[in-house]
Amino acid sequence: MKKIKNTVILVLGLFSFSLAFSQQKAVIRGRVIDKADRMAVIGATVIEYDQDNRVLNGTVCDVNGDFVLQMKDPNHEVKVVMIGYRTKVIPTGGAGTMTIELESSNIELGEVVVTARKKEENSLINIEDRDIASSRVKIDMVEMRDVGVVSASDALQGRVSGLDIIDASGDPGSGSQLVIRGLSSMGNNKPLIVIDGIPQYMTPSDFDLSSADQEDISNLINIALQDIKSIEVLKDAASTAIYGSKGADGVLLIETYKGRLGKVQFDYQYKKTLNFQPRAIPMLNGDEYIMLQLEEWHNKEGIFEIPPEIAYDRDYFNFHNYSANTDWIGAITQNAVTNDHYFNISGGGEKTRYFTSFSYVDEGGTTISTNAKRFSTRVNLDYFLSKKILFSVLFSYTNNKVDGNLSLEKRNIREMAYVKAPNMSIWERDVHGNPTGEYFTPINSYQGSGSVFFNPVAVARLGKDDRVENSLQNSFTLSYNLLNWVKLRETVSFQFGGDKRNNYLPYNAIGADWLSWTINKAEEGNNMYSSVNTETQLAFDSPFDSSNHVLSGALTWITDQSNYEWMNIQGNKTPSTGIQDPAINPQINWIGDGSGSSRGLGILLNLNYKYKDRYMIQTILRSDAHSSFGSNHRWGLFKGLSGAWRFSQESFMKSIPFLGESLLRMSWGVSGRQPTDPYARFATYESTNLGSYIRNYPSIVNRFVQLDNLKWESIETVDVGLEMLLFNDRLSFEGVIYNKTTTNLLFQNYYIPGSSGFDSLKFFNGGELGNRGWEIMMEYRLIQKKDFRLSVNANISHNINSFKQLPANFNREQSTSINNGEYPKRVIQGQPIGSFFGFRYEGVYSTDEDALARDAAGNILYDNEGIPIPMMFQSTYTFKGGDAKYADINHDGKIDLNDVVYIGDSNPDFIGGFGASLKYKSIEFSCGFHYRLGFDIINGVAMETEGMDSRNNQSKAVLRRWRVQGQDEKDMLPRAYLNHPANNLGSDRYVEKGDFMRLLNVMIGYKLKPEICEKLKLRTLGISFSARKLMTFTNYGGQDPEIGQDASDPFWIGVDNAKTPPPRMFTFTMSAGF
Amino acid sequence: MKKGNRKIFAFILVILIQVSCSDWMEQLPPQGLIREEFWKTKEDVEAVVMGAYISFADMDDLLFKFGEIRADMVKGDINQPDDEQKIMEGNIYPDNTLCAWNMFYKVINDCNDVIKFAPKVQGIDNTFSDYLLYGFLSEAYFLRSLCYFYLVRVYKDVPLVLEPTETDASNVYLPKTNGDEVLVQIRQDLENIRNYATIDGYPTFAETRGRATKASIDALLADIALWTFDYEACISHVQNIEASIKYKLMPSAEWFEIYYPGNSFEGIFEIQYDNNLNHNNKTAGLTAQYSYNYDPSDHALELFAKKYAREMVRGEDASIKKYSESDFIIWKYVGMAPDGETERFGSVANSCNWIVYRYADVLLMKAEALSQLGRFSDALAIINEIRNRADVPPLNIADSKTAYEDAIMDERALELAFEGKRWFDLLRMGRRNNYSRKSKLIEIIIRNVPSTQKRILATKLTNPMGWYLPVYELEMERNKNLVQNPFYNF
Repeated sequence: MKKIKNTVILVLGLFSFSLAFSQQKAVIRGRVIDKADRMAVIGATVIEYDQDNRVLNGTVCDVNGDFVLQMKDPNHEVKVVMIGYRTKVIPTGGAGTMTIELESSNIELGEVVVTARKKEENSLINIEDRDIASSRVKIDMVEMRDVGVVSASDALQGRVSGLDIIDASGDPGSGSQLVIRGLSSMGNNKPLIVIDGIPQYMTPSDFDLSSADQEDISNLINIALQDIKSIEVLKDAASTAIYGSKGADGVLLIETYKGRLGKVQFDYQYKKTLNFQPRAIPMLNGDEYIMLQLEEWHNKEGIFEIPPEIAYDRDYFNFHNYSANTDWIGAITQNAVTNDHYFNISGGGEKTRYFTSFSYVDEGGTTISTNAKRFSTRVNLDYFLSKKILFSVLFSYTNNKVDGNLSLEKRNIREMAYVKAPNMSIWERDVHGNPTGEYFTPINSYQGSGSVFFNPVAVARLGKDDRVENSLQNSFTLSYNLLNWVKLRETVSFQFGGDKRNNYLPYNAIGADWLSWTINKAEEGNNMYSSVNTETQLAFDSPFDSSNHVLSGALTWITDQSNYEWMNIQGNKTPSTGIQDPAINPQINWIGDGSGSSRGLGILLNLNYKYKDRYMIQTILRSDAHSSFGSNHRWGLFKGLSGAWRFSQESFMKSIPFLGESLLRMSWGVSGRQPTDPYARFATYESTNLGSYIRNYPSIVNRFVQLDNLKWESIETVDVGLEMLLFNDRLSFEGVIYNKTTTNLLFQNYYIPGSSGFDSLKFFNGGELGNRGWEIMMEYRLIQKKDFRLSVNANISHNINSFKQLPANFNREQSTSINNGEYPKRVIQGQPIGSFFGFRYEGVYSTDEDALARDAAGNILYDNEGIPIPMMFQSTYTFKGGDAKYADINHDGKIDLNDVVYIGDSNPDFIGGFGASLKYKSIEFSCGFHYRLGFDIINGVAMETEGMDSRNNQSKAVLRRWRVQGQDEKDMLPRAYLNHPANNLGSDRYVEKGDFMRLLNVMIGYKLKPEICEKLKLRTLGISFSARKLMTFTNYGGQDPEIGQDASDPFWIGVDNAKTPPPRMFTFTMSAGF
Repeated sequence: MKKGNRKIFAFILVILIQVSCSDWMEQLPPQGLIREEFWKTKEDVEAVVMGAYISFADMDDLLFKFGEIRADMVKGDINQPDDEQKIMEGNIYPDNTLCAWNMFYKVINDCNDVIKFAPKVQGIDNTFSDYLLYGFLSEAYFLRSLCYFYLVRVYKDVPLVLEPTETDASNVYLPKTNGDEVLVQIRQDLENIRNYATIDGYPTFAETRGRATKASIDALLADIALWTFDYEACISHVQNIEASIKYKLMPSAEWFEIYYPGNSFEGIFEIQYDNNLNHNNKTAGLTAQYSYNYDPSDHALELFAKKYAREMVRGEDASIKKYSESDFIIWKYVGMAPDGETERFGSVANSCNWIVYRYADVLLMKAEALSQLGRFSDALAIINEIRNRADVPPLNIADSKTAYEDAIMDERALELAFEGKRWFDLLRMGRRNNYSRKSKLIEIIIRNVPSTQKRILATKLTNPMGWYLPVYELEMERNKNLVQNPFYNF
């Protein structure tokens, strides 16, 4: 109990100062050492406080940890403060020499802090971390500073149970996808990011129409990794209810470093990373491709006229352009280098403390012409105006510049490189075989139109798709201690940002002539947003002085207002490739703009009560209003109730020697989600887009249906957890089971019958989605000696997702198409999102005679005339030898929609990670693994490169194809056949287990001894080497099994479409402190 | 604690500053029209009426396809979309995109909106006279009824939606209503509103052709009456039009002016297009020489060029145009004059109207009704009046209903070729007298399908439900209360 009180005093004390003087004087001397390794703590601050907790005097320890402090009054308390350590209060009782042991405030760098006795500043709840009874995990980021990751999401991967992080793409500047405890809504499942108490702006759905198909630059990329002190993940609704309508998809609280009392310190870190693309799927070379094509033609046509491109006709004028052996994947892949510079200055006196940092990252991409540069800076400033008033300013600015490549006709550079004919050359040659210096981009190639089957190297090199993003954030906080136990805090924060996109496709990058509409296409788009948030909080602690009853709480009033606007212009046929501005004289293809604003209010009441440090109960009640709802559904109520029992404090438990502080907790809560379009509820009319009827009368038609029933989607979680510290606090364990139910799911663009006069409702609330599962996190400090420490950690989580209930009129089948390359899409009540349906693939018919209809017992079926019934695809195609064989589920002799069955699921059963860290004297070693188990992937790349039914290039796997009647080999692929109607149907042939385990990070570092640093006039100096994604253990046949989830579409299925896989990275880090 | 109270007061003040009235939460979109700000003036009402016309005008290609491709007057060329080819050959499945009825219901919804909100606007806008209000209502009822009449003829039973889809609380999952009941409803609506419709009270002549008038309501009523074999009613509705002096047959020499420049004295309801207003038709695109979508069928050529070699006014170089022995195109919608020489160009290329009803059409309706009532001589007079105008010799027809039916069928085929009438005429014949001439209908339909398909299709079409289209697959999936046309339910 005392400790808590001290903490409260400390919190208050830190914010106060005084000019008062006392008369008596005394000198104290001492040495400050680390309690664990008994080494001197350099730079700790020793401060004298008076009875009112006003700072009177202070000093800083020298390199030996020694200090001398002249006290104003020997009766005053002395506090020893050091960043990274718990503050210690010493009643001196007069002069003397003492040794002060400081305890590290973090159990271990980079580990889960479960019991830090600290109150979060600027938090919406007023409670100590160790008493929190809801499900949260806090990760310390110090360790990740030296690892070769660029963004916070990379650093979190595999480290928090229940948090699934998937790299969207290995291209630089692309974000990651974060899913907390399974897909829980039909939105994009982006957790709310809160940086230093400021919820980050979330883009509305109709914002940035120009880049709707692009991944956003995630908020997590916008912050330099080295600035982050810790990240806290709020997982259950009892804790996310604090964020009300924004917390439905989980919340990540990011805390950055702040200034601290002491001498000014400089830190510099440099990281150099080499990025290597993993080995690509081997593709056919030009000769093998031509052979395959000839076979496809032959099987289709019998006798045919060989197209000149594949005829080996030396007289053909394009002979030299079509007789190459081009490795297209190789041609668009490169090894790249990332440079990361980071510099910060921090320090402060009694009145002012500051932390400021600068970071510059130049990230090279492993696909040619891709690159991302980020500059970011941050200033955190605390100013103690008076004993009772603290004024804080946070400022951050980020500039991101991402150079990407265009995607044409829905294929990106890499996808094109996979299918592009390898007998075509990159560079054009004339009739005699001399290079012309131009890219080879025929208007019509053997594969088809030059703008569809473009030259990926030319598009990457000549085209551009650049984006510059700026974001600026500024917040001001004023804290005022009204009474001893009541504090008023007012925070106002501003966020302002936007991005600008530019893309250009010159005529010579694709096969198009000057008359074509698509040439020299330039596009420019601008987006801008601004938002203002305010938080007014009245926080109070126990007004009564009782160690048995502790009460705390806060009443908070929150407002937010945001505005956005966008503009986009697209022009075609700019007069020259030198003119890439769509506004200069081209044929304007379209111009669009839009804007909007939204407002929200929230009232939050939080009450915490604790009895005898054993029984805790916490309540959260938040009421939110948002302008996107009509007045009937405007206010939403979000609530959380959690309780905990610290059973280790019970007297009957004290006898158990190995039990440390342990907690059993339960929580229940409801949080919500609002639609992303602030104006969705209005019935709108629009001018008919083209034309007027007679005499230029204005003409107006209905556009969107008014949404009277639009309401909050609500997510309810029940969570039971057990936290234990065992064996002298060396083993920490946390186990949780939860049940999460989303009701009134917000569907976007919900289809309604055409007889209504409309196609869809903008939003629709309905249905129920469930996620339940369990999570375990463990950490064990195996060895804990002065010079040798070893600890291991592991986490695992399991989640089961299911559509508990579908809306009454929900269209369960989105596509019943069973053509080549397509999977029919269905949603079934009780099944998870992301279930696959398709045919069962049973290999290849060895001979024509094998392709017969059979009954359930395997007997051949005969027609009336005694002739065996052949196997048909629908009723249009008769299967022959060499064709793919599909299971005829209903034994009707026809492969059709009735034979479609469930063939897989894209949701992982288990996710997690494990790692170890070792410290021996000055050498550190750590490694981390990440795994996802029990999910299936549709290998879309194989589907496109093993079908052998088109003129696209195929992978080397097709060398195992069926060629002659009777051929029957293991793993044989069907025959090559141009435009075969059924050889490449959506079947389990392409469904593969995605299970993988990956050595995510491995790092070895060396820190110079303090004595040596001293000689070098440095505070610290360290070097380290690390590798990222070094090894992956998987049976998946595609390039990378890390496939993102997309719950914006209930019909989503996980298809691997050859996004750039995350590269292997080797990083050298050097950091120095002055 | 007095000081404390003051602080608390200050705190409350801070909160109150942040909370203003609830207006703060009321955020209206900066762009676009929302219902709260709409339906305030008569101009708003007129704009939606015009919007409904525009939406209806978006369907001219559909009206052409529904009216022609299953019949025997057109054939597909190489650019004919796959889905349309399947319909033409009788391979119709519910996944055929042409089966979607969305566009009709879009018009219906806008009309329902006008019918619901226009009377309310009158309470706000003092300048909104009864005359104007009922005028707009008559247009809305006319368009809505016209849509339903097409729907009933194409699908037979369809959901009868009479209220606008105002909010997400509206019932959008309506089951089908029997086609006969739908027709009862729209006849009722039209008869109720007919008296309020204008005769020619529009400021321009084009509007008397392009917007609903008394005559267009009469024409639609006559058409519905004929479809339901209510011959007396049909005759009386046509007589109403005849009584008006506003409509007459164009002289032979000016026959082609019905189509170019259009809006002739013969036109009763024509959907107006004007390239200058960026409002283009699609018929030109379907029928022009290099579009390769639809060409006159062999049967059409036979009617115009071979059998009736004397068809000078309506035949070659008027309804059709010959480029070579094997290359004929439909000329009505692309030609400048009945000379087969000059195609329409530039701004008039896509400005050709789509004629829904014209005088010759309603006269032939009357002839059909008369003949079915046994008033053969009256019927013959009308037929020969039409033939006389076309400069072809008068007919002598045996006094039998069947003979007249056949003669009128042929006459309509010639006079109204490619005007989206033929399929519905055939259906009317097939349905008459309890399907007594079903086999004749089937014989005509299979004229136009590939020989391999003829036998199968002939068997299939003995079920009259196969004459109607299935409900589009997506619509079935989205609306569980719909029942598929049993012919397609397999």
